[in-house]
Amino acid sequence: MTARAGSHDQLIEAYVLDITRRLPRRMRNDVAFELRALLSEGLRDRAADAGRLPDEAMALDLVREFGQPDDVAARYHPPGEPVIPAAYTSGFAWATAIGMALQWGVSLPLTLSGDLAPGVPEDGRFTAWWVSYGLGAFWWPGFLVTMMLIAGGVRRIWPPKVSEWTPRTKIDRDHINRPAMMLGLGLALCGVATWVCIAWIVTTFESPFSRALALDPGFMAARAPAVLLFWASGIALLVVLIVEGRWRSLTRKIDLTSKVAACVLFLWFVMGGRIFVTDAADEMTKVFLVLFIVMIACEISFSVWRQRARIRQPQPQTGPTQTQPQRG
Amino acid sequence: MAERPDDASAKLEQELRRGVIVLAALSQLRSAQYGYSLRQALAERGLAIEEGTLYPLLRRLEAQGVLASEWRIADGPPRRYYTLSAQGEELLVSLTQSWRNLAGIVDGLIGEDQVKKRKASQ
Repeated sequence: MTARAGSHDQLIEAYVLDITRRLPRRMRNDVAFELRALLSEGLRDRAADAGRLPDEAMALDLVREFGQPDDVAARYHPPGEPVIPAAYTSGFAWATAIGMALQWGVSLPLTLSGDLAPGVPEDGRFTAWWVSYGLGAFWWPGFLVTMMLIAGGVRRIWPPKVSEWTPRTKIDRDHINRPAMMLGLGLALCGVATWVCIAWIVTTFESPFSRALALDPGFMAARAPAVLLFWASGIALLVVLIVEGRWRSLTRKIDLTSKVAACVLFLWFVMGGRIFVTDAADEMTKVFLVLFIVMIACEISFSVWRQRARIRQPQPQTGPTQTQPQRG
Repeated sequence: MAERPDDASAKLEQELRRGVIVLAALSQLRSAQYGYSLRQALAERGLAIEEGTLYPLLRRLEAQGVLASEWRIADGPPRRYYTLSAQGEELLVSLTQSWRNLAGIVDGLIGEDQVKKRKASQ
């Protein structure tokens, strides 16, 4: 690099301007003036130590040691609050991924099948999807960031009151709500009574309803009595829980088993033939039963997830990081 | 990916130094100094601080009311001189006390560790 008269000053000035254009306008000139003077003085001292005149190469070394303009400019700002605080980064990433996957998961098959792209030839549907719903799904991360920005602004204007930590959920997860359990018991008994009398109840309806809601004789003979067995075990469990006032390991296992049994039972109802004599009532009932199965499966998953140990003992490590026994 | 020991060591040392830079700078600002002279004063006493860290720090401390500053042109080119404000004086006293407590505790801890090592090696 050839040294030109004053080129080191120009280099320092360019560097200083590169920093200050990243600063708030009101402080730019003041900082630039001060920084240029400080760097120039530093360069003069460095040249004096080297026993030669300052040049561009020496100035370049100086400013490179000073730091990248982005980093230096950031140091002039007071430490601010990040848009996405570190504690929320993982949740933000998951919310973004799940939101976009849902949008793509729904829109892509519907576009490829032609439902969302009427009139578009088959070989152009993927492109049509990408330029519409595919790219359009990126509104979601933008929306999340905007919400975080608004939340940050609200926190700055109205700082939350710092209060002592309180548990978010009930700590004793084995405690039961007796009134709710007694209500459940009452409903279960009503259900049993209704089910036992269902054949008679249907006959009391007026003609079109009684015909529409007539139960299939095969269902009543083979599958219907199984519900009573299921309910009986459920009622017994409720009574035990009300008496004991809390869950135990055994009652939780019985509850989980009875939920699995309910899924199997409802699946048998759906797959094992007709439930109602008429098609409309039969199909509608089976749709509801499938929904029940899904709901119970979700509840089983949630129960298993809740019962897992939240803080698990880590696996002992082997290898060089293990503490060595002391020699004595 | 695990950090290389050299990188981790450099980062930890940097963090350690960062913690004392404010106190070191404040300790030298009972009399007015400009950025470069302050850096030289600290370097002469064995604490070399990167200019890219020190100069922005002075501005931030000024914005927080810890330092007061003024432009002076009497003895050479215009320079911005910084000195402790009343709030800065209080902060210096408080940080000095904290530093002495902390340094004493850490010295004690390091000393105990070294005694244990010596005993173990005998």
